[in-house]
Amino acid sequence: MSLLQRLRRSPWLTPLALGLWGWLLLWSRLSGRLDLLLNAAFHAVVTVAGAVLMLLALIQLRGARRRRGGPVPLGVLLSLGVALLMLAFPPAPSFSDLAANRQDSLPEAPQLSFFLPPEQRTLTEWVRLLRSQPDPDLHAGDPLQISGFVLARPGEPAQLARLTVRCCLADATPAGLPVDWPEGSDPVPDQWLEIKGTMTVQDRNGVPTNVVKPASIKVIPRPERPLEP
Amino acid sequence: MTRASTAWAIFQGLLIEALPFLLLGVAIAGIARWLVPQSAWVRRLPRNAVLAPIVGALLGFALPACECGNVPVARRLLASGAPLGTGFGFLFAAPVLNPIVLASTWAAFPDKTWLLWARPLGAFLIALALSMLLGLLAESRLLAPALLEERRLTQPLSRVGLLERGSGLVGGSAPVPERPTSVERLRPGELLGHSTREFLNLLTLLVLGSALAAVVQTWLPRSWLLALGSAPTLSVIALMLLALVLSVCSSVDAFLALGFAAQVTPGALLAFLLLGPVVDLKLAGLFTVLLTPRAIGITAVAASLLVLLIGQWVNFLQL
Repeated sequence: MSLLQRLRRSPWLTPLALGLWGWLLLWSRLSGRLDLLLNAAFHAVVTVAGAVLMLLALIQLRGARRRRGGPVPLGVLLSLGVALLMLAFPPAPSFSDLAANRQDSLPEAPQLSFFLPPEQRTLTEWVRLLRSQPDPDLHAGDPLQISGFVLARPGEPAQLARLTVRCCLADATPAGLPVDWPEGSDPVPDQWLEIKGTMTVQDRNGVPTNVVKPASIKVIPRPERPLEP
Repeated sequence: MTRASTAWAIFQGLLIEALPFLLLGVAIAGIARWLVPQSAWVRRLPRNAVLAPIVGALLGFALPACECGNVPVARRLLASGAPLGTGFGFLFAAPVLNPIVLASTWAAFPDKTWLLWARPLGAFLIALALSMLLGLLAESRLLAPALLEERRLTQPLSRVGLLERGSGLVGGSAPVPERPTSVERLRPGELLGHSTREFLNLLTLLVLGSALAAVVQTWLPRSWLLALGSAPTLSVIALMLLALVLSVCSSVDAFLALGFAAQVTPGALLAFLLLGPVVDLKLAGLFTVLLTPRAIGITAVAASLLVLLIGQWVNFLQL
């Protein structure tokens, strides 16, 4: 009997697969991986599913010694391998690459929101506000303090952007603001920056556009929760 | 390399988000199997070609889950001997005709009242049409072999063709014996074992579907699809392709559609909300536990044509 056949007949394989997937879900929550992949609304569901799978694994483990049956389908081995790979290689998406492939079609805010004073608004709130009040002169001169990653689209000036997610990374939608980068600065795609400055109005392709004029630019680490609802 | 790591992250996002719903679906299928002895309630379901899918579609209100969770429940229904129409009606309509999806559609589009009735109505009509179409095929050409075997164990012999039974009397005039109609309730341990195996089998298929969806949507620029958004027919086709590729759960797809609702025609918007819950890349693997590859192909083509027609009709009426 080959090693693969023996492996497939092992009574420990099913509890191992269940336990590994359960641990993957729980670990994703504990390590903060979910913050990088899913909308926060789904975190509790994933955690409960992880706990249930761990419990099922323990129950299956108890009876494993007595269990006899046919070989486990090859697919179970495949899924076990995938779970191991997911544990070994955490996600490291390029937000800039992801956003460059998608249009700026920012969803509305999830609930009725009142806009905060200019310097307290997040980048996404700024984008929503500018979309709802399209007269650029209304916001000229407003102070701002925003953070985001550098979004570099081919053939376009780099923007500062955030990703909004309703479900998971598959539906991530970018929200970006044009920035009047200082002379000599070379924004690196995916780098997270905090910009303090003012909102200005500049002519871009013959259209008056709100553009961020930085007074200071600071490189910051990626936030713990980089995705916004 | 950057693309590959982005695809890897999208794959993980899709899989981890869908996995709890798959588990929920398998749990509901298992509980239904344990609480209600198989033949007792299945015999009460109508077998009429129109009534059966209607009953199946309405069953969606009992399972507020997305399309991933519905697959194991639909499989359990069919394996228990439920009419094909009921199983398919549930499979194709329940991802939309359930309280969570209807509420999320309303929350995303409170100003588009036409969408609040057009989406459930469209899903219902598609489920009805697909159920009737698939009902034209013989079960042996329609259902996946493992499901067919399981289904035959719960079917009265009179409903199984002579050649399909594998044994029997030829030329005899004796009445065809019925299989015993009462099925013993499974012990909890056995039920847990069955449900666990079912979950792991479906998980493998979900892994494959998620991988396919992640690869396609990483390397296919979405702007190509949305660029077609303004032309009436092309916009419908473009949004159908987007639904196919994105593979997002029906419980949140309305919020996603909100993002590009202003850029596309109303027909295209409805097409996106109708096709995704029935056909997408993530589901491609899961459907193999229910249907033969040929039947999956027929389902995909027929659903696409129906959605295209509905989308065109909505654009024509300018809702």
